Amino acid sequence: MKTQKLFECPSHTWIMFGRDDEKPEAIIDTNQYMVVTKNNSLLMDPGGIELFSAMLAAVIKQVPANKITHLFASHQDPDIISSLGLWDQALPSATLHSPWLWESFIRHFGMNNINYAAIPDEGNILKLDGVALEFIPAHYLHSSGNFNVYDPEAKILMSGDIGAAMEAVDAPLFVEDFDEHAKKMRMFHQRWMPSNEAKNDWVRRVRKLDIEMMCPQHGRIFKGDDVKRFLDWFESLEVGVLNKG
Amino acid sequence: MTDLSQNYFVSVAEIAAKLDQATTIAQKLSLTASNARAVALRAGERAAGFRPLTDFIDRLAEITIGSSKKINQMAAVLSQTSAEKVRADGAILHFNSVYKIAHESPYIHSLDEVYERCKSEQDRLEKTYRRQIEQLSEELATLSSELRNAVILATLSRVEASQAGAQYQDALINVADNVEGAAGKIKNHIKYSQQMVSTLEEY
Ligand SMILES: [Fe+2]
Ligand SMILES: [Fe+2]
Repeated sequence: MKTQKLFECPSHTWIMFGRDDEKPEAIIDTNQYMVVTKNNSLLMDPGGIELFSAMLAAVIKQVPANKITHLFASHQDPDIISSLGLWDQALPSATLHSPWLWESFIRHFGMNNINYAAIPDEGNILKLDGVALEFIPAHYLHSSGNFNVYDPEAKILMSGDIGAAMEAVDAPLFVEDFDEHAKKMRMFHQRWMPSNEAKNDWVRRVRKLDIEMMCPQHGRIFKGDDVKRFLDWFESLEVGVLNKG
Repeated sequence: MTDLSQNYFVSVAEIAAKLDQATTIAQKLSLTASNARAVALRAGERAAGFRPLTDFIDRLAEITIGSSKKINQMAAVLSQTSAEKVRADGAILHFNSVYKIAHESPYIHSLDEVYERCKSEQDRLEKTYRRQIEQLSEELATLSSELRNAVILATLSRVEASQAGAQYQDALINVADNVEGAAGKIKNHIKYSQQMVSTLEEY
């Protein structure tokens, strides 16, 4: 499991975990993100059950276990949060922020100790030691209850499955050639995203945000102008398409 | 580890299934008792000795149904415990590998408290699991010994049937056969369940 610092300032740090070369091959590669503030940490889309040991080992190299106080699951998918039953043992007093829509489903992964903080459809703001993290609605992209995390100070948008690409585990962390990269995103977005209306609404709202880095849960991170390139590309892409092959 | 845990989940489920079958047989037995009562009534004075036996058959059916229900509940609780135990065992395995991968991490000992708690939870579940198996095993033995009365009941039924006169004799002998047959089938299910329980005890 590789660890990469994405942003650092006196109040907080963004860290990315991913490119796990020890994961079983049939499992989709995922990126996990963590924001560390003075006394707290938010671990975003902590991943599948198969990844748990590697993830906890990587996280514990950055912060002590009792500092991982918050978890976030953008939606209910197994690659996002099927590890919950184990985090529940490891972090018994943590809080999980996740869409209200999925609470009774996500609890199936096993949750006896962790507290479920349901995010309302319109989103809300989590404050960690004075650092504001916004849960931005991204419903139907692809899940019907789905959020991104936006940090206005770091100018980072954690976009979940939006911007995802299927890549080899040794792929670079950042997008280098957008047009080349778009080929790897096309099928994923057309097939997994069901609604053009939801997509265009999201693009409209996200254009108004100041974003330096857009961080998806699979594939590569978009930086600077590639963020705008992505928004243009996504806006013009027709989704909800059953592409063959 | 995976093999064993799959095995014991299956074993617990099989015990529950067997006892479900025992309940169905016992329900039929209780039907047999009320049929026998009707025949004995029609046979009148000559089958007077048979009537109290039908109460015993009824009681046997009742005990079997009650006990099967209880064993079923115990199996459900045991299955819950074994699921929790598998989870706790899994968590410990995962933590062990975290200790291995991250042994150089400055914060590795921040996991110690969690690890200790999981360990003691695992111990508690282990003890609960053992106790529940023991209780299940006792209940199966109790039911099995109750069923021994079925043989006596069947024998007595045959004796009484022979006095009931040609017209009713066959019907009442049939009752005796039913009691014996049902008890035999239930006993087989219990025996099978007891074998399952003994495989559970090995873990
Ligand atoms: Fe997803
Ligand atoms: Fe995903």
